Amino acid sequence: MNKGLISFLVFVVGLAVFHNAIFPIFTPSEPGWILNRYVYFLVFVAYLIITNLILRLKPPVAMTALFVWSLGFYFYKSILFPPIPWTLFITYMVMWSIGVFLYVSQDPETFREFRKPIVKTIVGEYKFAQIIVMIAMPILVGFATYNSIYPAYQEPVELRTVHPAPPATTKVHGKTYPLESTDNPFRIDEQDNYKDSFPFLDADKHEYMKYVTEGGTIFFQNCHYCHGDQLNGLGMFSHVFNPTPANFIDPGTIAMLQEAFLFWRVAKGGPGLPNESTPWSSAMPPWEEHLKTEEIWKVILFEYWYTGWHPRTFGTEGAEGE
Amino acid sequence: MLGKNKRSITAFSLGLVLAMAIYLVPGMTSDAIAKEAFAEQVFAEEAFAKEVLAEEAVEGEGEPEVEWGQDVFYKDWEGNPLKGPVSGFPAPELGESDYNNYEFAPSRMLLWVANQQHLYFGSFVLAVPIFCMLIEFIGIRSREDDPVMAAKYDRLAQDLMKVSLTAYSWTAILGGILLFTFITLFPGFFKYMAGIFRPVMHVYALMFLAESGVLYVYYYGWDKMSKDPFLKWIHCSLSVLLNLIGTILMYLANSWATFMQAPGGIDSQGRFLGNIWHVIHSTLWNPVGVHRILGNIVFGGGIVGAYAAYHYLTAKTEEERAHYDWVCYVAMFICIFGLIPLPFAGYWLMKEVYAFRQQMGITLMGGIMAWLFIIQAVMIGLLFFAANSYLHNGMARVKGSHRYMKYCKYMILLLICTFTMWMTPHTIVMTPAELKVMGGAQHPIVGHFGVMSAKNTAVNLMITTTILCFLLYQRANKKITVPWATVGNCWIAAIFVGAALNIIFLGVYGYALPANQRVGLSVPQVTSTLTTLFAGTAINISMFKDSESYGDVQWGSQSKVGTYAIFLLAISFTWLMGLMGYIRSAVRLFWHVTEVVRDNSVDAYTLTIGEAGKMLTFNTLFVWTQFVVVFWVGSLTAKKAAAKAPEGVPVPAQQQQ
Repeated sequence: MNKGLISFLVFVVGLAVFHNAIFPIFTPSEPGWILNRYVYFLVFVAYLIITNLILRLKPPVAMTALFVWSLGFYFYKSILFPPIPWTLFITYMVMWSIGVFLYVSQDPETFREFRKPIVKTIVGEYKFAQIIVMIAMPILVGFATYNSIYPAYQEPVELRTVHPAPPATTKVHGKTYPLESTDNPFRIDEQDNYKDSFPFLDADKHEYMKYVTEGGTIFFQNCHYCHGDQLNGLGMFSHVFNPTPANFIDPGTIAMLQEAFLFWRVAKGGPGLPNESTPWSSAMPPWEEHLKTEEIWKVILFEYWYTGWHPRTFGTEGAEGE
Repeated sequence: MLGKNKRSITAFSLGLVLAMAIYLVPGMTSDAIAKEAFAEQVFAEEAFAKEVLAEEAVEGEGEPEVEWGQDVFYKDWEGNPLKGPVSGFPAPELGESDYNNYEFAPSRMLLWVANQQHLYFGSFVLAVPIFCMLIEFIGIRSREDDPVMAAKYDRLAQDLMKVSLTAYSWTAILGGILLFTFITLFPGFFKYMAGIFRPVMHVYALMFLAESGVLYVYYYGWDKMSKDPFLKWIHCSLSVLLNLIGTILMYLANSWATFMQAPGGIDSQGRFLGNIWHVIHSTLWNPVGVHRILGNIVFGGGIVGAYAAYHYLTAKTEEERAHYDWVCYVAMFICIFGLIPLPFAGYWLMKEVYAFRQQMGITLMGGIMAWLFIIQAVMIGLLFFAANSYLHNGMARVKGSHRYMKYCKYMILLLICTFTMWMTPHTIVMTPAELKVMGGAQHPIVGHFGVMSAKNTAVNLMITTTILCFLLYQRANKKITVPWATVGNCWIAAIFVGAALNIIFLGVYGYALPANQRVGLSVPQVTSTLTTLFAGTAINISMFKDSESYGDVQWGSQSKVGTYAIFLLAISFTWLMGLMGYIRSAVRLFWHVTEVVRDNSVDAYTLTIGEAGKMLTFNTLFVWTQFVVVFWVGSLTAKKAAAKAPEGVPVPAQQQQ
């Protein structure tokens, strides 16, 4: 039998068997180090390479390119979990397609070989393939047209700026704070120094922990309904909001920001956001109307203590900037 | 060369490394030197201020004769704002009468087009003399070994200069248009700038005179000075002078832009404090200067490459094809050499922007400009793809390259994976339904790629891969015969593997550190990358000693894909240059001069991404149309006879076909 065809069958049948029979084994409810979907993917790739090598199939360049492209598609569509949004999927696939193109066009020889079946299909040397393409193309175009015209009732996507540039100063409870130079008055030492031992037993840390505990109390009285009791943005009300409440555990939120930035955000809430951050869609109230200044600072202290992040500082060491 | 003989490739590489070092050294050391010099200067100024104040105190009554203002940026050694004698008028509160408009287009757009076109052309005419200097130098150096090649180099340098000459006057005309646009449409703003930069503007104009003089002597004296070896050296030195003046010109013009973005040397009312050096040497001046020089080199290389690629694709004779293929290669060589350090200069600039105003940094990287930065990431990826594609295709036509071609696919895989990481946005555009499926705004796996640790790692790995590809290209047709070949190869492997491990380790380690320490990790990461560049290239070239050749590069046999990659690189770089220029300028938002002169025109708004994209595309198309015209004008002069070897000199085999 034609080796190219065998290689194709190895891929298609292998994928069907792997996806339906082996994939469920690798995705138990509690994934482990071995039994997880990413190991499964590596096993599948290894199966493809090894089978092709043992059977000495050497599929033509165009087919190899198709396999590589499909593997990328399979990974982004079915393996990567949770599923990525459509915009990201498209971006990744464009990247992957460019990569495949670079692979087939790396030298004139490979590129010629890659084009051969395409050219032969177009000129009619591969009659059967030509018929399939001629039938499939209009159907695909029709399907795409149908899909794009068929009304969808989804909310539109938004280009929302999550961390807008803060104003130079903010006025809270009658006092103006310059954001670049304002520090948390309750941060009496670098937080990291307290992280390693159980803080409550250490007399030196007593004062600091007192503020953290007070901050925690305020957090659980006011904030955790949305931001979650683990500060991961998954509070009991979180699922009804869009955008969802901030996840403080994520390295891209409070870990990247100055405490003064948080102070501004907490004090002014959603309505205080600039337009690019769509103040109309944020449900966060301006907490300056409900909390005292020092209470806001204490909550911030607690958030950093709980998550283990350190607020961004722009010290004199000259290592600032990204 | 560059494929034809060993000495000149060494000379060429060394020349480029040296040229880059010359540009990088001031940048890297200027901070230290500036701080020391600055401390002395501050001390002298403060002493003078005290003296004046003491005199006034002695004199007693009456208003002090000299009013002292506090600098908005400079600080003395105690961290207090530096004081200086008020020597100018306060910044104007601009009103309706300070702006003029045409009916057909907003003033802001007209100014944007005028500015961008002038910058594109300026960039090109500053870059070409750098090439000419290097190419002519190599021509002189290789005159004894390979006269045919030397003549070819000389002809190439002269041809480029011919085009540059037309482009030069074009640049001046565009500069005039820009000036008139400022004066007619933004008179209030321009009056303020002229008030402060008065002496700089005059020096700038005079430098232009010097630049023109040297340029004309350099170009028109070419043939006359090329006969006598001594005069030829003088001629080559003129190109150094030309570059020097060009660089000063660019730095002077840069000072206006950097002052607008991050002013210094004035007080909070915008009054000039008597020290023009403070105004020029504001915080962004050095990084912008270095970034622009490197950018100019890449841009110039891209344009020359595209010009040669066009001629290569349309060439009628084999000889012509071979020549333009070779020109493409020289242009790409220079271009990639500029491209590799360019992101680092960009990082330096961003670091200074953050240090000046955190707000400005956030607006750029996380605020309304963040989406433009994502586009920038895509464009940079395209540049690296194009460069690598060219190298792969170029390598394929070299005999002996089959030994390395098999690694290409792994390098592509690495490039794609790192690029995917590089361009994963922190904030993903998604529908509410997708957000719910994902379980939060950040993806638990790819979400980690959205922060700086991952980005730095990715870009460093991308550059390292490109460097590796380049080293393989260099040695593609060489059979290494030095006795220490194995040791050398092991060293190169160790350097690359070590650098990659170090870059990845630091990237992962960065997640465990607070932000202010994390950004410090980018320095060892960059150092690792640069080590692969410098140490890798040095070892690689040393190994070529007495090497046997598998055969010469077959000029004229470059594949079409590789040639189209040059067009991709040139066009995307033009677009990218416009984009980054727009971002840097638009980050001032509603200020002409940050926090000093407010933009009160009807145009003080930030464009939507789509609108900005349209303008950038228009600017790119417009400038390329002009380039086509300029190249056409350049080609109108009579074609020179092909370079011939002087009689009696043996002609290398590859030239005899």
